[in-house]
Amino acid sequence: MSSAAGGTHHLKVVLLGEGCVGKTSLLMRYIEDKFNDKHLTTLQATFLNKRLNINGKRINLSIWDTAGQEKFHALGPIYYRNSNGAILVYDITDEDSFGKVKNWVKELKKMLGSDILLAIAGNKIDLEHERTVVLEEAESYASTVGAKHYYTSAKLNQGVEELFLDITRDMVDRLEQNAQVKETRTSQVLVIDDETPVQTSCCSGARHN
Amino acid sequence: MDGTYDEIISDNPFFIELKNGYANLFQHCISESWIICVPRIGSLNTRVFTVEDFCAHILVPSDELPETHYSTITEKQVTVSNKVITLEVTKGLPLQSHILFEETFYTEDFIKYKVWCIETPLEPANLVGDNTITKEYLTSINDCIDLLWTQAAGRQVLDQIEHSVQQFLKKHPTLPVAIGPLRDTVSELYTQCLQITLQNRRLRDKSKSCKQVLENIKLAVECYMQHLLFDYLFKPICTCCAYEDAHLNKKIRNMCDIQLRDLEIKKELYHAVPRAKQILSKIDSYNTVLEKVLCLKQALNAINKADGSVNATLLTADDLLPVFVFLIIKSGLPNWYSQLTYMKEFRYSSVGKGDVDESAFLITTLEAVIEHIQSGALTGPPDPEAYYYESNLTEDNLNNSRQRKNSLTESISTTDTSGREETLEYIFELIKANHCEQIEAILQKNQKHLQSLHQNDNNILKITLDDYLSNDDEDDDSDTEIYHKLCHPLCNCKKCKCKLSRRLLKNSPTVTSRDSHGLTALHVASIHGKATIVESLIEMGAAVNATDLNECTPLHYASSRGHQNALLLLLHSNANINQINIDQNTPLHMAVNNGHMNCVKALIYFAEHSRKKIKINCTNESGKTPLHLAAKWGYEGIAKLLIENGAEPSLQDKNNKTSFDYAHNLRILQVLKSCTPNLYEYIHITSNDVKSLNCKFENPVKLKLQKLGKSNDVNNAIKTVENLKLIDRILKAISYGDIKLACFYMGIDFTAYANNEIDNNELCHPLCECQYCKKKTDLYLSDININLFDSNGVTALHYGARYGQDELCRILILNKANVNCCNKKGQTPLHLAALNNKTVVIRLLLDHGANINAIDLLGNTPLHDASEMGNIGATKILLNYNPDITMLNGAEKTALGIAKAKVHLTIIDLIDKYANKQ
Repeated sequence: MSSAAGGTHHLKVVLLGEGCVGKTSLLMRYIEDKFNDKHLTTLQATFLNKRLNINGKRINLSIWDTAGQEKFHALGPIYYRNSNGAILVYDITDEDSFGKVKNWVKELKKMLGSDILLAIAGNKIDLEHERTVVLEEAESYASTVGAKHYYTSAKLNQGVEELFLDITRDMVDRLEQNAQVKETRTSQVLVIDDETPVQTSCCSGARHN
Repeated sequence: MDGTYDEIISDNPFFIELKNGYANLFQHCISESWIICVPRIGSLNTRVFTVEDFCAHILVPSDELPETHYSTITEKQVTVSNKVITLEVTKGLPLQSHILFEETFYTEDFIKYKVWCIETPLEPANLVGDNTITKEYLTSINDCIDLLWTQAAGRQVLDQIEHSVQQFLKKHPTLPVAIGPLRDTVSELYTQCLQITLQNRRLRDKSKSCKQVLENIKLAVECYMQHLLFDYLFKPICTCCAYEDAHLNKKIRNMCDIQLRDLEIKKELYHAVPRAKQILSKIDSYNTVLEKVLCLKQALNAINKADGSVNATLLTADDLLPVFVFLIIKSGLPNWYSQLTYMKEFRYSSVGKGDVDESAFLITTLEAVIEHIQSGALTGPPDPEAYYYESNLTEDNLNNSRQRKNSLTESISTTDTSGREETLEYIFELIKANHCEQIEAILQKNQKHLQSLHQNDNNILKITLDDYLSNDDEDDDSDTEIYHKLCHPLCNCKKCKCKLSRRLLKNSPTVTSRDSHGLTALHVASIHGKATIVESLIEMGAAVNATDLNECTPLHYASSRGHQNALLLLLHSNANINQINIDQNTPLHMAVNNGHMNCVKALIYFAEHSRKKIKINCTNESGKTPLHLAAKWGYEGIAKLLIENGAEPSLQDKNNKTSFDYAHNLRILQVLKSCTPNLYEYIHITSNDVKSLNCKFENPVKLKLQKLGKSNDVNNAIKTVENLKLIDRILKAISYGDIKLACFYMGIDFTAYANNEIDNNELCHPLCECQYCKKKTDLYLSDININLFDSNGVTALHYGARYGQDELCRILILNKANVNCCNKKGQTPLHLAALNNKTVVIRLLLDHGANINAIDLLGNTPLHDASEMGNIGATKILLNYNPDITMLNGAEKTALGIAKAKVHLTIIDLIDKYANKQ
């Protein structure tokens, strides 16, 4: 999942959310200015690779769109395993879709713990006057689960690029942190290993928790 | 693996020079968000770049069409479409360059600018770089071989890989049958192969200079290794996945009637499905992961291209998954899970890139689809009859007749008590809802009513009685017929009215009434497995063996849907256990095909107990026995059960394939093989011919008499039938590898040959009559015609050659068997031996005068066959006997041509060497 072969980070982000909240539109909007191609047939709307270079760090960002219909819900784990991040999309005019996001968050936390970076995106802010999901509620929920909250409009191209750029930077930071932690941890374990092997398992176990 | 070019832009000299040497220009570009084009590394000569060079590579979007039209700072017009940059040049053709990839850069203060890596510089003068094929995408095994061949300037690397694969196979004669160890073992081999490859100086230098080349080499090595190893590798994988595959197949088989709209697939995608299906069905024929993934991608593209309209609607995952589900269900491939595992676990070259590239996405999609099918979230078309009705309703005439019926019902005033109309559909609905009593009540009432009407008929209309009776027998459903029989279409006379009312009452359902697809209530009850309703319907006298339009009986439906109780009820009511439907499938076929072990058991055990004979080896339209189906879909338990009950694994279907050929994993194969010895005991114990066979052998007088009677015609006819039976038995014995038994059938004393194995064909002198020699010559004269052939023209020697029974072949040849006899396909024994790589037999046949250049009906010589199959041993030996390698087969190909098409490198080499020697 996380690899920096040849100095390039390969990151995977999944888009999750109920059908019709605009996952695919967000994705398409993000790549719209990638290629001015009108021939969408050559592009998969379900999978996108984007190369970024943020401050000299090369990132190969793969964005996977998922099916939103309820009948495909069970397939989620297949798609989001090995993901570095997940973008949970809801429709600000649809209370149910926000409930669905909460379910996804619960599921992701359960399955992947804190391995995965979460971002919640309230889409369709062009329909602000029809808003049913309370702004404060959404933001406070996001902060309780440790996710960043964004407002986007795929239609007006608002906040889309910020969303993807932000989560990418966070993922890179997370990745580099982990790499460091791993290095320090292995070196520490090695030191302890020389002394008493019995305590090693104890210590490393505690560290894991 | 998705074949995209990659390089680190910040290391590109052009980019570095621009950034450092011309910082002002660079900053200006960024602030204006102009696009910077960077020619790929290696496409530019390393010389000093001038300001003009950079200016020619900076694109300024035009005001009107900022997406497609640009101009460079040197004021040249540039258009971009479909990832190709076109530069207008004053003289000559416009200059074109591919955009290899786009990279979006963000500066420290998050100002965004874009860089396009392009294939060739946008200046004609600069077109002199080294033209290494860094950009090449590998799309097939041929590409991979080409790459390794050309980049290493010779085939030594390929040979080395081949060698290490052979060593590997020698070291591991049986590969582990668990995915983890299997993957690790092969992974070791991959590492080894890669090391060997990179020891080659040319390859090493090239891959150092460009990262892309290294990636391609890795991929090519992986592919070539998989290509060589596939035959040995895939069976163990299938074996590991046998359970999952069988489980999945059962799910798929039970859903095979599913329609596009059952899956809520968008209408716009309908017409793309056949094309995608065709592409996807080829996935089985590819050996490498690369090609399999590409096949998935092509299928996906085929679906994507479906809506080629201008306003292309986006294909989201929601649209795509159902189509894929449909494709997988309809593909008819028996080992999807194994295919998936192979693709998922044996993709070594992309390990470094993580699990995030496009191939990973495609494989994940496949996995998701398989998971979706397996999860049982899909129930398939639970009520096919609902589908029928819907299609009926669209027919105008049916609506018309229903309306007419309604108006007439009022005028005649039937005893319609309930508010709802008691149509057959209503009954079917009730059956689905399991309202047994209600159904009984309605049906019985209608029955009575009909009977009373019958009596009326008898009293009033004696004249037309015969008419009615004959009408009774036919179950004509068309309303038009009855109207033809009226005096005139609107006639109201008593006679006609009565006819109409009878007709209408016939429409009010009884146990015998059918819908437009010929389904009776009993069919529907069997489809839904409502045992109680089945029971009561049978009690009411429903026809147990009634057939619908597909000639399916209720028993067919009960067994195909896996309803054991309904099935047993039907069987106990004397349903015909061997009834065939329109595709000549018996209920046993249906139960096996859909993997319903309980029904298979029920059918077999019932037949056993009631002493009815179930035809366990009966064939359907495509010549498949139930065992073929069980082997194909990997139902281990069912296969075992069938074999225990006398199913015969060596029977051929219409494609000349036995159950062995269909078995795609070792466990099924083991089941098929392990049970064989029991089987032929079974055959000759139950066979009626045992007696005659015995006397034939024990009683030489009778044999002689039979021989004398050959002139007699009647005797001859009997003889041919008997011969056919005999050859059948002989061939079977050979296919089991029981030479003794085969010799016994042919009347050859096997022990005589077995004892003096080596020195037996040397007589003292050709005409010697000493006792020792006489005994020998006697041996070679068998009583039975050694060249007997079965209905396909197959002789014992053919079979011996095919199964590589060299000892038997020797005996047959000594008994003057014809070494050049042809079967119906024109194949000589030598062909079969070459096809199956039976080297010892090939040598034996050739030493005894077999024609090396014999051609079969397709124009293939044995050498063609050997190179087609990639049989190295066979090819070697054949080449020792001076074959004519210039001969063309029916497809105008030489043996060498075939080998090339199939990429059997060693064989190409062998034939080439032979040709040179000549």
